[in-house]
Amino acid sequence: MIHRSETLLSGLIRIDLLRRIVRLVKPIRSAELRRACSAESRREASHFVDCLQVRILFFFFLFTVEIFTQPGNSNLFSAGNRLKFGNYLFSQNDYLRAAEEYRAYLKVESDDTARFKLAESLLRIDRFTEAADHFKGVFFSRGLGDYARLEFYKALFLGGGYVRFRQTVNQENYMPDKFSTEVKRLGMISYFFDNSVLPDSSEMFHYFDDSVKIRIRKFYLMKKFPAYKNPLKAAILSAVIPGAGKIYTGEIGDGITAFAATGLLAFLAVDNFKAGHNFRGWLFGGLAAFFYAGNIYGSAASAQIYNAGIKFDFNREVKLYFEKRNYFLPSIDFLK
Amino acid sequence: MKKFFALIIFFVVVLHAQTDWVRWSGAEISYEIKKQEKKNYAIGNASPGTKFLSGIKNAYYFLISDLDGDNCPFYPSCSNFFVASVKETNLVQGGLMFADRFIRDLNPIKGLNHYPFYSNGKLLDPPENYTLIFNKITYIPGGIVVGDYDSSK
Repeated sequence: MIHRSETLLSGLIRIDLLRRIVRLVKPIRSAELRRACSAESRREASHFVDCLQVRILFFFFLFTVEIFTQPGNSNLFSAGNRLKFGNYLFSQNDYLRAAEEYRAYLKVESDDTARFKLAESLLRIDRFTEAADHFKGVFFSRGLGDYARLEFYKALFLGGGYVRFRQTVNQENYMPDKFSTEVKRLGMISYFFDNSVLPDSSEMFHYFDDSVKIRIRKFYLMKKFPAYKNPLKAAILSAVIPGAGKIYTGEIGDGITAFAATGLLAFLAVDNFKAGHNFRGWLFGGLAAFFYAGNIYGSAASAQIYNAGIKFDFNREVKLYFEKRNYFLPSIDFLK
Repeated sequence: MKKFFALIIFFVVVLHAQTDWVRWSGAEISYEIKKQEKKNYAIGNASPGTKFLSGIKNAYYFLISDLDGDNCPFYPSCSNFFVASVKETNLVQGGLMFADRFIRDLNPIKGLNHYPFYSNGKLLDPPENYTLIFNKITYIPGGIVVGDYDSSK
């Protein structure tokens, strides 16, 4: 019923448009052009062209309306259209809406490629658990099985449970035959992302290409022997010379300030005791001791914050490095 | 004909005209003072020690801070840092944390990209980072602006 009424409506609009065009052209035709088209004037070329132009214009309008009319009986929400629109959205990186279209399509049709793309869309918008579940549905597809298993491992990895991920890799559950090296390499990469004990270096480097080995070795050493500063050392340094511990942890301004503040208060205390002002002496002395102790404590805390900074920088560098190279996983052709 | 074209051009210009307000995406100026720290004047009743400390804190608020205004360059402010650190740890450790904070506040070049900025323009320096427990530290690189930070978390 809807289609029929749509056709009727578009027909009415068309008739209305035609009527308008005719009304627009009519006065010109009736007055000047009838004269222009008359037999005598037709010999004059310019008048003839005028007449022709108006006709061409008229037919042009007529056909534009005809050409741009749409068929009223096509279903925009058919399964095929859903798939097409989903593919379009996927190519535009609009993965949230693409997933919606694929889901609607998969309610009607069973299609491994669409299911794979649905899972991939979910993976790319960080819905890792759902993505992994959908990849499982394509595990036994003839063409896409290996790719689905690879992406399943990627989803597990990006989901963040690195210990569980490594267990899955070691048990070789659903291991893709084609990409077993890549998956094992991903297992090695996951050691950089959490606090587990690193494997042996030869085992680690075995899976990486020679071209990136230097970089991976650097990361390995940074992870194994991070350039931390010892909080105890910082505290002892500050106990010997106030502020030295802070300078050791890289906070030179704080160190100098601590030295100046403690030194000044200690000097004031001594000076006041010498002059016989005992109350002032105790006051400044107490403050000097307070700052001295606070600075020792603060040096240790500062060393810890420095270490947290080192850890933060390392994590960021590693994440950016591997993310940029897609974790050394092969790119899948039909997703481009 | 000239008039006709002039009229068309005039309307084209007028229809596409923008005021400076639109062109430079102007915004209403708000004179509201954002995100001032709230002072807690309640006296802690947990022990005589907390009562005594709350008394000192309230005396400081009443006699100095309220008159001096919101002048601490840090968030949380030094007095709130002291209260929070004592709550977080104990009186002795909280006192040491406060002494350290006081020295860092004395440093004239503390604003040089060492601390992150809180959204009210102050240097963000939460007391949890100084408890000597490594896992409690939330490291934020210096110089960047942190939109919202809930110190109660």
